[in-house]
Amino acid sequence: MNATYVGLEIKRIFRDPVSLFFTAGLPVFFYLIFGASMSWGDQSVGNGNVAMMIMASMAAYGAVSAAVGLGGMAAVERMQGWGRQLGLTPLTDGRYVAVKVAVAVLITMIPIVLVYVAGSLTGASGTAAAWVLSAVILVIGSAIFALYGLIFGLAFRSEAAVSAAGGSVVIFGFLGNVFFPLSGTLLSIAKFTPLYGLNALARYPISEGQLIDGTSGHLIHEPLWIPLANVGGWLLILAVIATLLVRRSRGRQ
Amino acid sequence: MIQLRQVTKTFRRLRDTVTAVDGINLDIAPGEVLALLGPNGAGKTTTIDMILGLTEPNSGTITVLGRPPRQAVLDGKVSAVLQTGGLLADLTVAETMRLIASTFTDHVPVEDAMSRAGITHLARRRVSKCSGGEQQRLRFALALLPEPELLILDEPTAGMDVTTRREFWAAMHEEAGRGKTIIFATHYLEEASEFADRIVMMSGGRIVADGPTDEIRSAAAGRTVLADLPTDTASVCLAQLRDHPAVTSAEQVNDGTGSDMVRVRVAGTDSDAVARLLLTEMDARDLEISAGSLDDAFINLTSTSGEGRAGESAHTPSSTEPTTEGTSR
Repeated sequence: MNATYVGLEIKRIFRDPVSLFFTAGLPVFFYLIFGASMSWGDQSVGNGNVAMMIMASMAAYGAVSAAVGLGGMAAVERMQGWGRQLGLTPLTDGRYVAVKVAVAVLITMIPIVLVYVAGSLTGASGTAAAWVLSAVILVIGSAIFALYGLIFGLAFRSEAAVSAAGGSVVIFGFLGNVFFPLSGTLLSIAKFTPLYGLNALARYPISEGQLIDGTSGHLIHEPLWIPLANVGGWLLILAVIATLLVRRSRGRQ
Repeated sequence: MIQLRQVTKTFRRLRDTVTAVDGINLDIAPGEVLALLGPNGAGKTTTIDMILGLTEPNSGTITVLGRPPRQAVLDGKVSAVLQTGGLLADLTVAETMRLIASTFTDHVPVEDAMSRAGITHLARRRVSKCSGGEQQRLRFALALLPEPELLILDEPTAGMDVTTRREFWAAMHEEAGRGKTIIFATHYLEEASEFADRIVMMSGGRIVADGPTDEIRSAAAGRTVLADLPTDTASVCLAQLRDHPAVTSAEQVNDGTGSDMVRVRVAGTDSDAVARLLLTEMDARDLEISAGSLDDAFINLTSTSGEGRAGESAHTPSSTEPTTEGTSR
């Protein structure tokens, strides 16, 4: 692992305080509004409580936004000629991807850690296993969304497109049951949207598959295969599109 | 050092296939300083990309120091200064140096490379705050990191003012003095003839001329003489002019100013001799001499080789036969 490169990448990210605020600060803010301040927060669910479930969801939103931004910027900087500069060094594609993955893991951990710290201070409670497992699922699962950013960067070749991709995460957050509990038809549709699977998986160690029906407020149980199929399906779709676009960009060089 | 054999590269644009490089052969010896000279779209950048292993040819073979191009880059034997783009704006100059240095197992100290490229004083400046010339010198410093045997520069001075251009070439002279082989692409004839030992001229994806700088320059530095000649003697005079050793072409352009005159154009290397001949022995009038531009040089070199006329001074290999000639420094 090229530690110098990873270190400098982290330094670059910290040089952009505005993006860093949206990556790290906004999810904490959302958690405080949607989770900590709600009266039903301390209602217990499975291995934790409602506040903890909302905490995991806001961390998912933050981590996915960070991953989308990183993937998008990687695509844009490669096409603006940095890829050619790296092509003149012994850095292989594999090692380059390893650097970017390491950076993505470190950066997505920022919103996850901040939201989890905020959660632990404001009433989220659960078993130790629930805390650790949901955080690990978020770190690994959100990395998939770097592909989503990469696709926007490769397809539209501009920083504006990457920002748009970041904005679309908010929409998929609402559609993916992240920000507030859906019900009925909307919930059925939600199960096919990209953020639904990761959000449900991150909550799984806490809720043991129970989710709140947005209309009645009752708990309903969901089998594990649904979020797994969602994540697996979207990983496949994103990987195929990203591969095709990388091939297209190579052919043009 | 470098061998290109029958190298062809085509690109697909929508439904068309564009041939960027069309079956070129080239041999470059160690220690040569070679200029790739040609207008935009001649195939210079594509040729360079293939020598660097950034693109693969559709057909033909390239070897660099006896190995495939990408391997030569991996071994740190080859590096390059590419055209604009390719730097991260939010890093400082020194950070960029450290980043690229970290990809090599073996490299010269970052400070040494920076001082050789004359950017030590810029170390703490953000790349985004550097001028085009400063960024170009940073790319040059990056290229020095692996201490390569071959240095390739793609239009290195584009966008530089006269002073920075001079400083850049001074730094480059120093590297050539260390025994590096240098290839640079340019569309300035002056830059090519000031710095290179050998000039390879490209046009339309082919090599149209290849030879020592002096030969190419004299062919390119040709001047054009325009004059009116009496109609009845014009054809005899033109024949006589074509036989003259300093003349590359002589032809009638259109009717002259008077009814009994025709206008002729004579291209050649010694415009004084041509003018003297025209004025003293051929009763020419209304004579004009114009200096040849690079475009004229291309026309001179390409049209003479294409139509097989005599009096051409540069060696122009056909694209099917390998160029074995190579001038060493």
